[in-house]
Amino acid sequence: MKQYVAKRIGAGIIQVILVSTIAWVLFFLIADLTGASPAARVAGKNASPAVIQQVSERLGTNRPYIVQYLNYMWNLLHGDFGYSYYQHRSVISILLPALETTASLVLVAVILWLLISIPFGLLAGLHAGGISDYGIRVLVVLGISVPVFLLAPMLNYLFAYQPAVGQFLFFTLPEPVTIFPVDGYVSITTDPFEWLRHLILPAMSIACITAALYVRYIRALTMENLGQDYVRTALAKGVRRRRLIATHMSKNMAPIVVTLIGLDVGVALGGVLFVENVFALPGLGYVTYQAISNLDYAVASGAITFAAIVAVTMNTLIDIAQGALDPRTRT
Amino acid sequence: MSRTPDAQAASGATPGLAAEESVDLAVGITEVPERTARSSGLRAVLRRNRLVTCAGAVTLLLLVLAVVGGPLAASITGHPPNRQYNNALNPEGVPIGAFERTYNAAGTAHDPNGQLFVLGADLLGRDQLVRALYGLRTSFTIAVGGAILAILGGIALGVTAGYFGGFTDAVISRAIEATLAFPTLLLGVGLALALGPGMLNVILVISIFGWYYPARIVRSVTIGVRNLQYIEAATSVGASVPRILFRHILPRLYSPMLIAGTSVVAANVLFEAGLSYLGLGVPPPTATWGQMLSDAVGSGYYQIDLWLAIVPGACLVIVVLTLNLLGDGLRDALDHRDSYL
Repeated sequence: MKQYVAKRIGAGIIQVILVSTIAWVLFFLIADLTGASPAARVAGKNASPAVIQQVSERLGTNRPYIVQYLNYMWNLLHGDFGYSYYQHRSVISILLPALETTASLVLVAVILWLLISIPFGLLAGLHAGGISDYGIRVLVVLGISVPVFLLAPMLNYLFAYQPAVGQFLFFTLPEPVTIFPVDGYVSITTDPFEWLRHLILPAMSIACITAALYVRYIRALTMENLGQDYVRTALAKGVRRRRLIATHMSKNMAPIVVTLIGLDVGVALGGVLFVENVFALPGLGYVTYQAISNLDYAVASGAITFAAIVAVTMNTLIDIAQGALDPRTRT
Repeated sequence: MSRTPDAQAASGATPGLAAEESVDLAVGITEVPERTARSSGLRAVLRRNRLVTCAGAVTLLLLVLAVVGGPLAASITGHPPNRQYNNALNPEGVPIGAFERTYNAAGTAHDPNGQLFVLGADLLGRDQLVRALYGLRTSFTIAVGGAILAILGGIALGVTAGYFGGFTDAVISRAIEATLAFPTLLLGVGLALALGPGMLNVILVISIFGWYYPARIVRSVTIGVRNLQYIEAATSVGASVPRILFRHILPRLYSPMLIAGTSVVAANVLFEAGLSYLGLGVPPPTATWGQMLSDAVGSGYYQIDLWLAIVPGACLVIVVLTLNLLGDGLRDALDHRDSYL
């Protein structure tokens, strides 16, 4: 186990270094090579030449690339993701307060997508070729075809905005009701119930689409497991179907699903970029979206680097947790 | 969004590994099958599989619309895509809805002789129908362009890795794994941010983050084919490596790439819409669905006039759904695993 953890942490560190290097190539090298000055971009659109000169010295963009790169990595290691001359704050001081919202949103989204996909995936897998399988297949194709930036405003419109003005679909409600708030975020420490109520719709927007993918995975896993010897043995010794799924098959399927979740945290962080803005949740996605709209290059590039590092780190942590739970995965 | 193709790869079997494994297992079978997917013929496929026929027909229709739809609608309605009609907005700036005519000079009522806007006007008073059709053109140009680049890259890398094996394979396989583990959407947004807006830049971004999926399939197909007797025979009569690759291996990739290509185009349409939603796609005034959606949602006007979001949203769903159904149908029709061998 120790060896596995050490190996996985090592691989994780390499991944973080790789992803930071990619970020540096994206935001500094490519910008420089295509003729756009990174310093001018970071300084913002209304910066005077003196400010650009100052930024350029701080970033060291006039020095050789290797020095710039090492300098950049050294700064990242110290939690320095740059300085926003647009907001006059360091990028990390903008990102850290946003972390709680995004972590809550992703957490609720993961729970929702598992709650949706496990029953549907099992149902489709157990009755493969049947009418329920066919119906679920239609829903899945629909699910993967709807972009998150369409689903989020539609959910907001139907379940938050419309009831609040006294309408629902084609019906007029006797009086306006608030099923879900239109936007905003309440911290879990303030009020756990309101926290959940504010997060259901945005998390649902992310979860619906990812759930469609997971229904496919779980359906395929179920079908594969059903054909295996241990299932035949269990059935032969008289294990009930319900118990077979709950204790025998779930143990074999869970590790694979957990690995997939580790990979899909990154996908969820991409969805956050669109969803948080629709629901005005002050998280990483909101900060990034605003930064892109305001041409605040320092925050946008810092936030993307930060999110990519978080995604890769989460991936490693989940792999380690899984190694602890399931010795077979320690390879 | 970017995971769509992976899910489809997984739909038939265990996620990720299955295709590779089944091919590897089947390497031992050395006889050449009598019928490959290609020889079963397009016509037979169409007869057997209604879904492919319908989705294929709709895809063709969409392609035709992408080419002629925009200019045709513009000439019929008389509304150029970027012309702003001030009388299509009421005094509060709310645009007219579907099948409504423009306001009269005072802006108090619809003018019975005014211009008809079939799908309503957008926030600047431009015709939504015309812009949606021009958006289809933008969307297809980028999605298909990106898919072609991604598949060419994927074939080059996948064949190299699969045929030569050893160190080359190890390097390329690690690169594929790394790309899979990275949050591609975030890095794609990052690259778009670094390159700046523009059609060529968007195609480049999309293809850079789309090559690994075709590459994975090509690699596993090539590994499956590499050790077959007919390749050995070709080598023994002195066929050169390029001849083996181009004459004997590339044709095998026809149906897997057709299936993968459809999925990649569908994923690209969504990726392009996502980038233009963030303002990192083709710059205005060119019509893009992502831009139309973000204008409607970002301003909050979609809550007053839902058509603003429905029009680009429905276009996106129709196109992506059609391509996904076509990909699914093609997979059912062509991809009976043994067709690789």
